Amino acid sequence: MRGLGDLEAVVMDRLWSAPGPLTVRAVYEQLREQRQIAYTTVMTVMDNLHRKGWLHRALAGRAYRYEPTRSREMHSAEVMSEALADSVDRAATLMHFVEQMSPEEAQLLRDVLARAGRASGSLDASGETSVGGAV
Amino acid sequence: MRAAVPLLVYATLLATAVPRLLVGVSWADRAPRLAICLWQALSVSVLAATGLAGLALAVPTAKISGDIAELLRACVMSLRASYATPGGAVVAGAGLTLTTVLMLRVGSCAVAGLVRAGRARRAHAAKLAILARPAPGLDAVVIPHPAAAAYCLPGRARQVVLTTTALETLSVDQLHAVLAHERAHLTGRHHLVVAGADAFARAFPTVPLFTAARAELARLVELAADDAASRQHERLSVAAALVALAGGGSPDTGLAAGGPTALGRVRRLLQPARPLGTARTMLGAVLVAAVLVTPVAVAAGPILAVTHALYCPLTLPVS
Repeated sequence: MRGLGDLEAVVMDRLWSAPGPLTVRAVYEQLREQRQIAYTTVMTVMDNLHRKGWLHRALAGRAYRYEPTRSREMHSAEVMSEALADSVDRAATLMHFVEQMSPEEAQLLRDVLARAGRASGSLDASGETSVGGAV
Repeated sequence: MRAAVPLLVYATLLATAVPRLLVGVSWADRAPRLAICLWQALSVSVLAATGLAGLALAVPTAKISGDIAELLRACVMSLRASYATPGGAVVAGAGLTLTTVLMLRVGSCAVAGLVRAGRARRAHAAKLAILARPAPGLDAVVIPHPAAAAYCLPGRARQVVLTTTALETLSVDQLHAVLAHERAHLTGRHHLVVAGADAFARAFPTVPLFTAARAELARLVELAADDAASRQHERLSVAAALVALAGGGSPDTGLAAGGPTALGRVRRLLQPARPLGTARTMLGAVLVAAVLVTPVAVAAGPILAVTHALYCPLTLPVS
């Protein structure tokens, strides 16, 4: 399962960097240069990717030609907007380092950090006690 | 019956008064892990007290002695006695129903929440498997995206995710601070803390304690992770990383009204660490234990009273 998942990434990389649609045979020929792999495995992986909506396919002659439904960037944008959308529901799903915020709020944070930087610069000689006393 | 009233009073007091007393106390920010334990203990305690009150209504304790065989016999007797009087049966039935509904409600919300989150995580991990690449030399994956962001995906496919822009924005110190923060979430299983609080709040959205606990626990796990990160790295690096990534959101993502948490975290990190000290930490631990023990002690009170009064099981009414 894990192995097939890795192969999915490899196959998608090939198709994203390809100039146009590719057949299973073409992808197989490319992959075979770098790793030992069975034609049927590549076929299975590409069929899975088609089923999951990553690849679009069209008959050309007797073989299917596959191409990505969307660019890597579009997929990433979708996944990230899903990940960045902050909701209580999502809190148990994944945990952000810091929540998304408005530019004004972000600016406020930068100001606080900058002020602290200036303050610590002037406090270097007097040491921690003055900082502790201000708390 | 005698234990039910004090249990319900205790639960009501905790459920309504505690949020006012505990939200925003300064020691919580100094000892977030202790505060996490206390909020969890309080939530469990309210649920346990109410559940035990239901049981106390269902089992009139006056006829119970210390001996197990007698206890069972008394149970049968009291059930018989209860059903003999219509009022007793109704009260006992209401008590049992209360307890059952409480447990089922919280249990189903917890299971539903975990299933939902697990499914979303697996779907997300499947997409990451194709889109993200391992970051060289770092225990994280990188996904190409114009917003600077970092997050972790807990559970079986646990991993830390960085965007390419975050990787470019952060200095080396800040980057390692971010990774330490996210690893603290993963090793501390903070998502389960959040999921548990979420289950309580979803099950009983009108209970002030549960909604306050959910908000506070979400904030406190961030503080705990900040502390873990600043044990390994400069506090200033953690703060600077927060500031760097806070402004990194792209305009197409929804803006959450969560700014104050980040501001509080930055201000806290800019001050030197002020751990609570052994004595006060011990006091807090005792408080947590007391909160957990109280419902059981109150529920068991009448039983103890009866055994101490040398209640004679032979005087039970025998049919």
